[in-house]
Amino acid sequence: MIYLDNAATSWPKPPEVLDAVAKALAAPASPGRSGHRPAHEASKLIHKARRRIQGLFGLPSPERVSFAANVTWAINEAIEGFGLKEGDLVISSALEHNSTARPLSRLRAQKGIVWKIVPPRGDGLLHAGDFKDAMGPKLRLIVINHASNVTGALAPVKEIRAQAGDVPMLLDAAQTAGAVPMEDIGQICDIVCFTGHKGLLGPTGTGGLWVREGIELRPLAVGGSGSKSESLTHPDFMPDRLEAGTLNTHGLAGLAAGIDYILQRGVQDIRAHESGLTRLFLERLSGIPGLRVLGPQLGEVRRVATVSVTLDGWSSSDIARELEATGGIMIRSGLHCAPLAHEAMGTFPGGAARFSFGPFSQESDIVAAADALKGLSSRKRPGTQGANAQGRA
Amino acid sequence: MSETQPSEIILVFASNTRILLAEELLEEGDLPYELIPVPKEVNPNCGLALSFSESDEGLIMPALHHADLWPEQAYLRKGEQFSELSLERPKG
Repeated sequence: MIYLDNAATSWPKPPEVLDAVAKALAAPASPGRSGHRPAHEASKLIHKARRRIQGLFGLPSPERVSFAANVTWAINEAIEGFGLKEGDLVISSALEHNSTARPLSRLRAQKGIVWKIVPPRGDGLLHAGDFKDAMGPKLRLIVINHASNVTGALAPVKEIRAQAGDVPMLLDAAQTAGAVPMEDIGQICDIVCFTGHKGLLGPTGTGGLWVREGIELRPLAVGGSGSKSESLTHPDFMPDRLEAGTLNTHGLAGLAAGIDYILQRGVQDIRAHESGLTRLFLERLSGIPGLRVLGPQLGEVRRVATVSVTLDGWSSSDIARELEATGGIMIRSGLHCAPLAHEAMGTFPGGAARFSFGPFSQESDIVAAADALKGLSSRKRPGTQGANAQGRA
Repeated sequence: MSETQPSEIILVFASNTRILLAEELLEEGDLPYELIPVPKEVNPNCGLALSFSESDEGLIMPALHHADLWPEQAYLRKGEQFSELSLERPKG
């Protein structure tokens, strides 16, 4: 199998991750819930994961890192937690995932917030000046997808911060944590939401958010926390404030092991590896007739290792189907839960074929995928006359 | 606990994370401590509390203060008797 769907979930996981999950699962685990030794050991596993996130993001303390089931929960927790009211302005990019777009859309419908969406320019990139133009006196929150899960375009986070004054900035780091150096992100953003199972190389069911001191979000869920048990009111201190219910101990043990691998290898090394593969892929795609790369093109470094393409005569799903059937190549077709991004790219609703590379992807994988696309371009899709299939539902 | 046992200080922290941060601190400083179930006589929580000998108070409390890991509650236990301690933080 050639696995090129790392933007969905990374694979393979380092063996240390599998070991950590199995070891944690084999032990009694009720972190923070009991006073016995196994409960304490489970708590230490969670704490280790908090420390690793702190280290990766350069945070002052692990105390304001709360874990969640995934980045979608974390983003919902953050967006809903602000208590936005009618007329409040929120700005996001058009490259947001539905994990951001849907909660904002619901708040617009139910609370009457104003949501301005900043599109990328012709180069596929977001520009800070466009965010500045969208700002207004009732601006309460800026939400930025650090890197598009469709085009791979990196957002100019520092530049947007410079325009935003003290307005809170929420960063969706789903596609960048572990793949892009972020050791100063805690000085740039106010909230960072992450997932554990993509670039951080951990298991699914792990994620969370860091919230800057001074921002107190209203939690989405309240309940058991192992603290303040005498009270019917959920604790107001972090991390318990945003953690209701027993945490995913074995998953977070695996997440800590994944980050250990990343820190040992070096985020810079992973970034260089993935950038090299992306450049190679784009080089090999150039000149393929009828093929279009969405967003940043060859030579643009402000991107991550995710490349989406369309190919004349082929729907994105048939590209994925053919690549799996003929080359054992796993990619993702469709809209990638990012309809706004595809609208911005002109590929809605047909979507695109997405190739995403990871720390363990090989040059031979990239060559095989590019050659397979070239092969498809030279023949018509079965059952068609070769018309551009984009736009088909 | 018998009357002949030495007195111990028991600290209750707001969160489990604070307990773990305190544990890290005391481990790094090679300071003597024990983690025990929170005594029900003083607090209804079901997690861990930090315990150490009264004679080590002068070592441990300043370390917690400097690390900004001040507890929510402190007790002196002598045998079966618990008495709440003042938690006024040292200056500086």
